[in-house]
Amino acid sequence: MNAHARPVGGKIVTPFFLVLLALAGIAGVLVAYRLVTGVGSITALTDQYSWGIWKPINVVTFTGIGAGAYGVGLLTYILNKGKYHPLVRPAVLVGAIGYSLGGASVMIDLGRWWGSVFLLYPPWYNFNSILLEVALCVLTYVGVLWVEVTPAILERWSADGSSRLKRLAVRLQPKLQTALPFVIALAMLLPTMHQSSLGSLYLMAPTKESPLWFTGWLPFLFLLSCLTMGFGSVSAVDILAGSLMPDRYKTHMTLLGSIARVAGWVSLFYVVFRLADLTISGRIAHAFQRSFQVPFFWAEIALFTTSGLLFLSRRARSDRGRLFTAAILAILAGATYRINTYLVAFDGGAGARYFPSVGEILVTVGLAALGVAAFLLIVKKLPIFAVGKART
Amino acid sequence: MTLSRRTLLKTIAAGGAASAAAAIALRAGATSVEAPPPVPPDARGLLFDSTLCIGCQTCTVACQRANKMPSEKSVKLINGAPYLFPTDINADCRTVIKLYEKGDRWAFMKMQCMQCLEPSCTKACMLGSMQKRQSGIVTWDPMRCTGCRYCQIACPYDVPKFQWDSPVPMIVKCDLCLGRKDGKTGSACAEVCPRLAVISGPYEELLATARGRMAATPSKYNPKIFGEHDGGGNQSMLLAPAGVEFTDLGLPALGDLPPSRLAMNIQHTTYKGFIAPAVLYAAAAFAVVRNMRAEKKANAPQGGKEEDQP
Repeated sequence: MNAHARPVGGKIVTPFFLVLLALAGIAGVLVAYRLVTGVGSITALTDQYSWGIWKPINVVTFTGIGAGAYGVGLLTYILNKGKYHPLVRPAVLVGAIGYSLGGASVMIDLGRWWGSVFLLYPPWYNFNSILLEVALCVLTYVGVLWVEVTPAILERWSADGSSRLKRLAVRLQPKLQTALPFVIALAMLLPTMHQSSLGSLYLMAPTKESPLWFTGWLPFLFLLSCLTMGFGSVSAVDILAGSLMPDRYKTHMTLLGSIARVAGWVSLFYVVFRLADLTISGRIAHAFQRSFQVPFFWAEIALFTTSGLLFLSRRARSDRGRLFTAAILAILAGATYRINTYLVAFDGGAGARYFPSVGEILVTVGLAALGVAAFLLIVKKLPIFAVGKART
Repeated sequence: MTLSRRTLLKTIAAGGAASAAAAIALRAGATSVEAPPPVPPDARGLLFDSTLCIGCQTCTVACQRANKMPSEKSVKLINGAPYLFPTDINADCRTVIKLYEKGDRWAFMKMQCMQCLEPSCTKACMLGSMQKRQSGIVTWDPMRCTGCRYCQIACPYDVPKFQWDSPVPMIVKCDLCLGRKDGKTGSACAEVCPRLAVISGPYEELLATARGRMAATPSKYNPKIFGEHDGGGNQSMLLAPAGVEFTDLGLPALGDLPPSRLAMNIQHTTYKGFIAPAVLYAAAAFAVVRNMRAEKKANAPQGGKEEDQP
């Protein structure tokens, strides 16, 4: 799809890479221990708080970051802005990795993980279950994202694979080209469904969710927040690539500038919509009461407002550093909203408390490290970024 | 630059259409789906009468024995005194009597699964592990359970309990002794109650008993039967003493409709039996094919098809 994408090349095993692997290794040991002893052994979860940070961070935030593929895909393929093409491959790779980690995390969190094979057995489907819809959508979408990555693999094979791989690649490429539009269409539909449904999940707990977050608009707000997070992550990746490979990769400042305008307006629209919803329904008073939830609410609003304004400021759109700040703030804003909805807003009942255990945090950190390591490995080996030729 | 603003509007329109439609439909849908859930013809339940309970906890012990549950292992300090008994339902304890105090009023409350007429757990459960089965009793099927614990998030009474310390965890909850392990039938808690504070039986009979007791001594009772209408109604119901609110007994304030109705209305009106996603997919596929073709054509003069280049 991108004529100039090339493997970045370079050494794979760097000290940073080893640190990432070590963190992932620690998580691996903890996961093994959890599989033998049960979910409670390494988590602080209780019957009152039965979903901890693995849900809102590992699943809901990782996939929010991965939603860059969705956001850029919408712009590129649906709204026909082909100029965004150079951003698609990195975004799709981030998405494929983010969603795979989210999926893996769910498996660790499921108490009876082996029972999930029956997700492939439609006669047992409960069509009332919002979680079933999320699970099936996310599972399918992980596959779709990796299919979207395959053109890069085939390109690599046809460029310098063994003769057998080369023949295979040459045979598969035209087929993939024919199928790709329909895969891409699926890649637009599935996130629309499950990103909104990640919010709908909490519509089922009207008595436990704080009125500051409980609203019939939860699915819509989750969809908006995945767009801002996705645009943030796409921008951050492109800027990072430009700063890490200054002589080989040029950050697409013009493209990112256009994305920033969209992301900025979506962020501000989110703030206006959220406050309007609270005001119209009369729940805004809760935002001025004394409770531990109130600072989290205002942090969410402040992050969306700041990143939105920063995205829209002309100076930020021409300054790589400022744009990077805006992008990171956008990711944090979405993450805060999602963590708020899943944990801060959730009242587990009288006397119930939850704070993530060291084990939960280490698994989350380890999974994130594994994701970064996989990303580095893949961009070095496969044509993902439109980089200049490596100097030898 | 106007281009970007239009792009923004289109992005929101394209992405948000589905959810926006949902929330609008929510208001429309809310009026159309207001029928209370039906009572299963063979429905069985429990009736707990707080005015008769003396807090002896015999029901808890009988429940533990009938279901072969392990007895409480952790000694807790309550008001400075050691206490070796469950203080709440948990994975080893399906029912317990709790004392609630407010000012100079106090009352006992029996906690166990309410056997909702339209339970949130059965709506939440991905593969139908939690279902209303025989006699309308909500039971758990281990084969269909993935241990996701969404039932715990969804249950307004915090009833389903999870075995956190087991690699093969089960969800534990009251099934009115349907799966009783001591060879007998019927609900063990009701069997042993020395004061008829908890009785079991067919739903209609329980309702009649509750009304009868309240009619005999109206001054003794809170005039409401908890579970007659709350959250769409439950097969297990409670009576409270006069002057004691059910929310003071740790019960949630639910409307007369099942608490999952809002979520169901939004979800089902959006998806319309999967027609909406199919239409959205067709539209997306059409747009992608058209746009990719147009792009290919536009790129052709500058040296071949972009896609084919290595």
